[in-house]
Amino acid sequence: MKRYLLILLAALASLAVCAALALAVIERPEARTDLPRVVAHSTEHAGAPHPITAVLLDFRSYDTLLEVAVLLVAVVVALALREAQPDGPDRMGLDNPLLRAVMSWLLPLMVLVAAYLLWAGSTRPGGAFQAAAVLAAAGVLLRLAGVRLGGFAGERGARRLRALLVLGPAVFVAVGAGTALGGRAFLDYPADWAGGLILAIELALTLSIALALLSLFRLAPPQSDVERLPERRRRTRE
Amino acid sequence: MSLLPALVMLPLSAALASTLLPLRWRGPLGVALAVLLAGVACGLLRTVVGDGPQAHALGGWAPPLGIALVADGLAAGMVVLTATVALPCALHAALGLRGEAVEDGFWPLFWFMWAALNGIWLSADLFNLYVGLELLGLAAVGLVALKGSAGALAAAMRYLLAALLGSLAYLIGVALLYAAWGSLALADLAGFMAEAGVAQSGSLTTLVALGLMSAGLLLKTALFPLHGWLPPAHGGALPPVSALLSALVIKASLYILMRLWIMAGPALTPLALGWLLGALGAAAVFWGGWMALRQARLKHLVAYSTVAQIGYLFLFFPLFGVANMDAARLAWDGTLLMLAAHALAKAGMFLAAGNLVLAVGSPHIADLTGISRFRPLSLMSFGLAGVSLMGLPPSAGFTAKWLLLQSALASGQWVWIMVLVGGGLLSAAYVFRVFRHAFVEGPARDRFASPPLALELSALALGSASIALGLVAQAPLEWLRIGSPLATGVP
Repeated sequence: MKRYLLILLAALASLAVCAALALAVIERPEARTDLPRVVAHSTEHAGAPHPITAVLLDFRSYDTLLEVAVLLVAVVVALALREAQPDGPDRMGLDNPLLRAVMSWLLPLMVLVAAYLLWAGSTRPGGAFQAAAVLAAAGVLLRLAGVRLGGFAGERGARRLRALLVLGPAVFVAVGAGTALGGRAFLDYPADWAGGLILAIELALTLSIALALLSLFRLAPPQSDVERLPERRRRTRE
Repeated sequence: MSLLPALVMLPLSAALASTLLPLRWRGPLGVALAVLLAGVACGLLRTVVGDGPQAHALGGWAPPLGIALVADGLAAGMVVLTATVALPCALHAALGLRGEAVEDGFWPLFWFMWAALNGIWLSADLFNLYVGLELLGLAAVGLVALKGSAGALAAAMRYLLAALLGSLAYLIGVALLYAAWGSLALADLAGFMAEAGVAQSGSLTTLVALGLMSAGLLLKTALFPLHGWLPPAHGGALPPVSALLSALVIKASLYILMRLWIMAGPALTPLALGWLLGALGAAAVFWGGWMALRQARLKHLVAYSTVAQIGYLFLFFPLFGVANMDAARLAWDGTLLMLAAHALAKAGMFLAAGNLVLAVGSPHIADLTGISRFRPLSLMSFGLAGVSLMGLPPSAGFTAKWLLLQSALASGQWVWIMVLVGGGLLSAAYVFRVFRHAFVEGPARDRFASPPLALELSALALGSASIALGLVAQAPLEWLRIGSPLATGVP
């Protein structure tokens, strides 16, 4: 009985919020400033000719830096929790010859698409986040096909993984510190260098974000193993 | 070079560095950098006190196109408070966690959290505040989960869901405000709303936006009755983590809420809503105090004490909203001093509780029997923090309550006096409950573990600071008013 009451209450509350939101969107007044026009006007002075890239990596680059940090926090937490609970043998990967065969075709294509998205980001839709998502997807498919990403195994591999994860935000912070030490505002790129600096940041971000997404996938405990975890742990200890 | 971006980038760089560094270097590096950052924070406060509020347009783009960092007296004060609390916690963690498995995750998350806190204090942009809240929330959840036990994971999950719901509500509000006004900069919005007057700025869109944002922030601040996630998360975490979460993290959402209400101005924040928040705060004081009294475990008692103490801070909203200038100023002073006093005292109390639990080897209050004879120092730190929480003179807690009391008198809102007095009595009851067990003579033989001296000293430093702040509160309160609405004469 109490359960139904709770569900009813939750449904009513959700409906009320929905109605309020719908009214708020319908009734919204004319905005005071036309920020999209300001963006369009200022983009020619920014380091990237595409307005979205200009907003993400020039006008509001500080937001982007903190967002990348959020992603890194998630991976750090996953790493810490996963290392606290030792894993059994790696059994991720489907025994599926078709997937392997398709992957050998898809992989070069996906890397190419990622590189294109990264490069295209400066002039049209695309950029580091999209490129990283494609790269990460390629990594996930490789894992599912049973391919070990051997470079990140063992103690040295773990250190390499961390270095690459940190690379993106580190380059971002370093560029910001450089501009600040050069007497400009933080992340205020010098006009001649703006394009190159933004591309360098995006390149580093692509690697780090792709690896972060892939790591989150790799570190998640596989669903089917949940019941067998105690048994597996016992085996690891022996 | 401006200090403002450095205050965010230093801890962020430290987070990146401590993700890479070998484990044994992270603790010493943490303490050394915390000292450095405390110095930078004091430098900022000095600049603000000397030259007035500071601003820095990031990327060289002025708002509304870019994001500005702004340090007025309040922001600079919070930056210094953060450093004051975080430094002893870093020392406590460097020695208390040394060699333990959790140290690997602790240091990066500690630094991410500090970066997010400084980012929030200094931000003057609604969306940037959202990103700061996300970074802060996720780092805090990670710190709670670090222990890895089933209880810690459950508490972290609950905390994560509450934090995400709060952020989501806040984000929807940001989107609506942007749609309605066309800017994300706090200063712009305040100007537009004041200019448009009640009729237009009271439009439905703005009201829904502010309502959703406030609700989300209340959930993140754990105001009664939205506090359910707090006691397991704060009570179950490692001692330095509990200290940081209770002292600073929940204050960040409250800080944004205060900025939001001041931005919206009296037209959009009618006194009735202020009364509602005040009433919830009053309920929090009594419910939190009552629940603290009934806890069997020491750290959970301290966690429920946080639920209670948050309540006092919400008396700000009804008291600041009145037209009476004196009452508003007293409410501003009293609330901020209460915030600082609670941050110092609660951090000290959690560290002291951690030391006591370490010494006794059991989380239960009943097992403290006999501790007063053998570990008086741990107990004294706990007591010093308790004095401030109870609001006994000469602590900062007392001064803050005194200011709030006078504000309640000046504005004629007598009912809050009962809350201040009753809450003080309840805190006395639960603090003395700990002492009652601690002062019972136990076994004549010393069977307790000895926490390292630095652990004791870091708790003692925070507890003493909460007392000392009460003696020298005059100057900090004047600094906090720099650049506030009170300085311009409009409440």
